[in-house]
Amino acid sequence: MNSLLSAGLILLLGFIGARLLKMVRLPSVTAFLIVGILIGPQLLNLVTVEIFTASEFFSNLVLGLIAFSLGENFRIDKLRQGMRQVMWVSLSAALLAWLLVSVALIVYFISIKMPIYPAIVLGAAASATAPAATVLVIREYRASGVLTELLLKVVAIDDAWCLIFAAMAIAVGNAMRADVFQISIVFAGLGEIFGALLLGGVLGYLSSRLSKFVRTREELLVYTLGLLFLDVGLSIALEVSVLLSAMMMGLVMVNIARENYKFFEVLRSVDTPLFLVFFIISGAHLDFAVLYKMGLAGILYVVFRTIGKVYGAKLGAKISNAPKSAEHWLGLSLAPQAGVALGVGLVAKVTFPDFGDYIFTIIAATSVIFELIGPLLTKYSLMKAGEILPSE
Amino acid sequence: MGISLIIICAYVGAKLLRRISFPAVTAYLLIGILIGPHLLNLIPLKIMNASDFVSNLVLGIIAFTLGANFTVSGLKAGGKSVLWISVLEAAFAWIIVTAVMIAYFQMIHMPIHPALVLGAAASATAPAATVMVMREYRASGPVTDMLLRVVAIDDAWCLIFSALAITTANAMRLGVFNIEVLFEAFYEIFAALLLGGVLGLGFYLLSRFIMTVEEVLVIVIGSIMLAVGLAMKLNLSPLLTNITFGLVVANIVKNNDLFFEKLRNVDIVFFLGFFVLVGANLEINILPRIGIMGVLYMVFRVAGKFIGVRLGSMIAKSGKNISKYLAWGLVPQAGVALGVALSAKAIYPKYGEIIFTTITATTVIYELVGPILAKYGLKKAGEI
Repeated sequence: MNSLLSAGLILLLGFIGARLLKMVRLPSVTAFLIVGILIGPQLLNLVTVEIFTASEFFSNLVLGLIAFSLGENFRIDKLRQGMRQVMWVSLSAALLAWLLVSVALIVYFISIKMPIYPAIVLGAAASATAPAATVLVIREYRASGVLTELLLKVVAIDDAWCLIFAAMAIAVGNAMRADVFQISIVFAGLGEIFGALLLGGVLGYLSSRLSKFVRTREELLVYTLGLLFLDVGLSIALEVSVLLSAMMMGLVMVNIARENYKFFEVLRSVDTPLFLVFFIISGAHLDFAVLYKMGLAGILYVVFRTIGKVYGAKLGAKISNAPKSAEHWLGLSLAPQAGVALGVGLVAKVTFPDFGDYIFTIIAATSVIFELIGPLLTKYSLMKAGEILPSE
Repeated sequence: MGISLIIICAYVGAKLLRRISFPAVTAYLLIGILIGPHLLNLIPLKIMNASDFVSNLVLGIIAFTLGANFTVSGLKAGGKSVLWISVLEAAFAWIIVTAVMIAYFQMIHMPIHPALVLGAAASATAPAATVMVMREYRASGPVTDMLLRVVAIDDAWCLIFSALAITTANAMRLGVFNIEVLFEAFYEIFAALLLGGVLGLGFYLLSRFIMTVEEVLVIVIGSIMLAVGLAMKLNLSPLLTNITFGLVVANIVKNNDLFFEKLRNVDIVFFLGFFVLVGANLEINILPRIGIMGVLYMVFRVAGKFIGVRLGSMIAKSGKNISKYLAWGLVPQAGVALGVALSAKAIYPKYGEIIFTTITATTVIYELVGPILAKYGLKKAGEI
């Protein structure tokens, strides 16, 4: 098996799988993940080591691409009244997920006589939403309406909340474990956010100014992809959030000049194969062994994260007078969980030698569950809100 | 980081060199040499390791699009000329290079059999650079059309010639004539045609399930990867496989324009990466060792191509422009010739090394000069 053969199979099987599962009304994202599980190392083993090695590179690129396109939704002139809703809904959904998961797990950990700080970190991880799956569901079913618009903005922003919460949680966890409160961790978290916003802003500004040299459509594609690689690469090198910097870049570009929509458009025409490969490889990476290890804590995490999202979104929507459909359905569509939460898990693994592995296992296991169920819930809630046409 | 560097440098480089009217391909190659391991060494090892993957994919894409030029209706008109010109330009490059090399080897008292292999390697033309030049300048006309077909099939001739050459060389060296090598070459060609044909049919079946435009890209790129991957796994020529694949698709799939067009929309990114990596992989440190042999090879290969094209177009009556200017586009040399050199190296270590060095060194020069010459020829023919 050489890598080209493997890559060709990934693309074609992804297409066929999506076609087949469409018959039972499953979203393509889910189909890709299932195909990935099938051809992954645990079953058919059709993915070569080289492709696995390249998958980190690849997923960073795709996340950057998605975040960049999310930035497009933040047009200042259209945003005035909407921003209040976005802030309230995203903050309260993220916060309530954190609170509920933490409280539930604290109770559980006390009952089994374990230290409670892992509960705080796990709660923080619960606050993030994976944008990729959500965006793909919206695109596949051509969802549109007030809920869709709000959702696109909320998934873009709640990663910032998650980063802040996670930094606080890890600082608190450290304080409880070692009796030193390292304020620097909180600052590092804030630095990661502001650094990313600054980087994305600068790159967005520069690229918009330099774009006058771009003549043909082919050049536009090269230029846009080059920028995206640059942004993602720099974010990784500077250790700031890839998601936030790419989103900021998109945000700045869409607001600087009207004709900048072409950057987003040219990406949309090519990104389908990238998404497909991304999700298939994510599926191949899913490790079902961790599911057995997650125990009651994992179940509590799944249940209370979902409740937290649903009621948090509801609360935020009420306070900010968001439309009724958002109040009812937005929380459920925030279910997908992936990279950002796993990032928190990885930091925890490094920071806490005693319970870090445990935290990571629970996040990894619940990510498997949310990755598989999340897209279905997103689709269901968009359908219930009437933003997906019944024929689709 | 590395990739953004490649893309941005290449983009800026191409913009700059455009000012002095250099083709973009040359710019990409120069950038590749500049940031490659021999000079600035800015490309991370991980990306250098992916070179094989990228170059095989790009060759597959190019071969696939080349296949599209062989529609049945188009061939009825020009099929004869294509065959004559391609076989003669390939054969003359072989014969002339071999003859000159034999003379030279006799002079320096070396066995003459490596000359046969060198000549066979000379018969191939690298399609990528020429195709890129045509696209960049939107060349169109009879010379362009003919050139696209000639570069597509002369690789098949090269495979046959090199099999003949290696068999004969082996016979001269060891006194045994291994007819199998020859059969293997024919097998390699026919199996590649067969595989491409089967994949084309499969594609035809699959294409009927395509619903959205976005899926087109998935299917096309996926199938090309599959074709290259399978060809490599079965030890067949990926180029011939994909040419046949493209040919079948162009002839039996409805609305096949859509597939080729979608591919054209995105392939520039692959091409750019490909040529920068080719540049980075060029063994420029080998240049000083090019020697008299390399110079002879270089001059007489091109001479052979020119004579072959003249003769071929005379026989097939293909017109003055083709006879005069087509050969300018046949200069680039890359993968196929290197493949021949590699197998020569594997078969006989002693002289294989010399063959390999000569081919690698001349490839560097041909790759850099080739696009410029191709542009010159097409311009002279009035097709740019």
